[in-house]
Amino acid sequence: MAVDDLCYLTIAEAAAGLRRRDFSAMELTDACLDRIDAIDGKLHSFITLTADIARHQARQAKQELASGTDRGPLHGIPVALKDLYMTRGIRTTCHSAVLENWIPEYSATTVTKLREAGAIVLGKLGMHEFAFGGPSTDAPFPAVRNPWNTEHIPGGSSSGSGAALAAGLCYGALGSDTGGSIRTPSSHCGIVGIKPTYGRVSRYGVIPLSWSLDHAGPMARSVEDCAILLQVIAGYDAKDLASANMAVPNFHTGLNDGIKGLRVGVPRSGWFDENLGIDPATERVFNDALDVLKSLGATISEIDGKAFSLARKANQTILVCEAYAYHEKTYQETPMKFGTSVRRRMLEGAFLSAADYITAQRARAVLNEQIRANFSCVDVFAVPGAPRPPEAFATMDPNEQNLRPNFTNPFNLTGLPAISVPSGFTAGNLPTGLQIVAPPFEESTCFRIAYAYEQATEWHKKRPAL
Amino acid sequence: MAQQIGLQLPEEELLRLRPGVNRSRKQVSELRELLAQTDEPAGIFVAAKATVR
Repeated sequence: MAVDDLCYLTIAEAAAGLRRRDFSAMELTDACLDRIDAIDGKLHSFITLTADIARHQARQAKQELASGTDRGPLHGIPVALKDLYMTRGIRTTCHSAVLENWIPEYSATTVTKLREAGAIVLGKLGMHEFAFGGPSTDAPFPAVRNPWNTEHIPGGSSSGSGAALAAGLCYGALGSDTGGSIRTPSSHCGIVGIKPTYGRVSRYGVIPLSWSLDHAGPMARSVEDCAILLQVIAGYDAKDLASANMAVPNFHTGLNDGIKGLRVGVPRSGWFDENLGIDPATERVFNDALDVLKSLGATISEIDGKAFSLARKANQTILVCEAYAYHEKTYQETPMKFGTSVRRRMLEGAFLSAADYITAQRARAVLNEQIRANFSCVDVFAVPGAPRPPEAFATMDPNEQNLRPNFTNPFNLTGLPAISVPSGFTAGNLPTGLQIVAPPFEESTCFRIAYAYEQATEWHKKRPAL
Repeated sequence: MAQQIGLQLPEEELLRLRPGVNRSRKQVSELRELLAQTDEPAGIFVAAKATVR
């Protein structure tokens, strides 16, 4: 098998190959490390590469699998972590000068779970500084670039996770999502990412951005791979006070059940045309994706989008207030260690009052009910992964995102599970995503629909020219 | 106000912050309008709870 093909295997394919002894965990790891060495200089997806640790872990996995100890489908699979997941003994920077040389004394629960499942950690991935603002131009590490066109942003804030997967540098990654930070880079990089239900995945050891909106979740090159990763990292954790004590179903079961009779709601009216509105080419690709769902047996109906539109305002208000609360002391002591983008966004929270924050939380309760009430007449919502293709670095306007509908953050506000799956390309060969949103704790529904769509299309098989 | 909340910011930086702060305040005023139209009690957010009034 050609090395490029080896690097672009899905986790499910790589796991099967390891058990057939077509290749070893060492070979998978070396293939990733060689590819990172060859091409990551133009993408900057990794901040810290842990090659020696990865090779040690790969050797261990190879020996265990050879001796019949099988920890499951992630055993011997190289993965990478957004650099806000704390890793014991390994630098965790949040892409910021504030934590440039910080080495945590313990690992995030999710990282521990991945390691217990036998996954190999290749390193730590670039991101938007503290998962906020935009691509950093004044951070100690370069901004991550989109593998489909390095002149364009990969989306954020889990930018390194999206870019590394699209470029075939790892088989799975962890991201985090407070307003769209898993789903936006998934959409912009042509990969799959799921923001699970609030509380489904522990955030213990994940540097916070906004406690009541933060979600941890997986990103991968296929729906099945996301299900495999979520299976390992999901579950109650007493160390995360927001963790939900809910049973974790088998996310693989039902993947193949199809979507005949599924009722899909599209909250277009009052949302898609907000301010500048959705980019027309992106909406055309989205409508094509709806046609695919219809051809698979789903019914599509339009629902009122007004509450979804208002949700962004509550989400952003809560986010900036909580982010400033978290960073206030550090900011007041060392303001210039924060990059310009994150500093300006965060300071918006400093100028809002306690009453403003409480107003946003009250609005959250109302909007949560209004949005969830739609589940009495539809099974899921479908929306684009992003309102427009990824912008070019040279012409990027940080204010424009506030003038487009935000298709991701209402589902942080409501805590609903939402998956983004590749849905095509717009002009310039830049990827788009289809987002499916399900009722709380129904990640299996997200997976089933996304899988049916994925299997009916070819978008997930495309690779960027690098 | 910047000084009141413990921030030492040069005038130039305050000018750059103003559009974002104004946008944030406008958003909150829209949320207040929403609350004025509803019978929302002192609500709290519970992700697992899905009630329809």
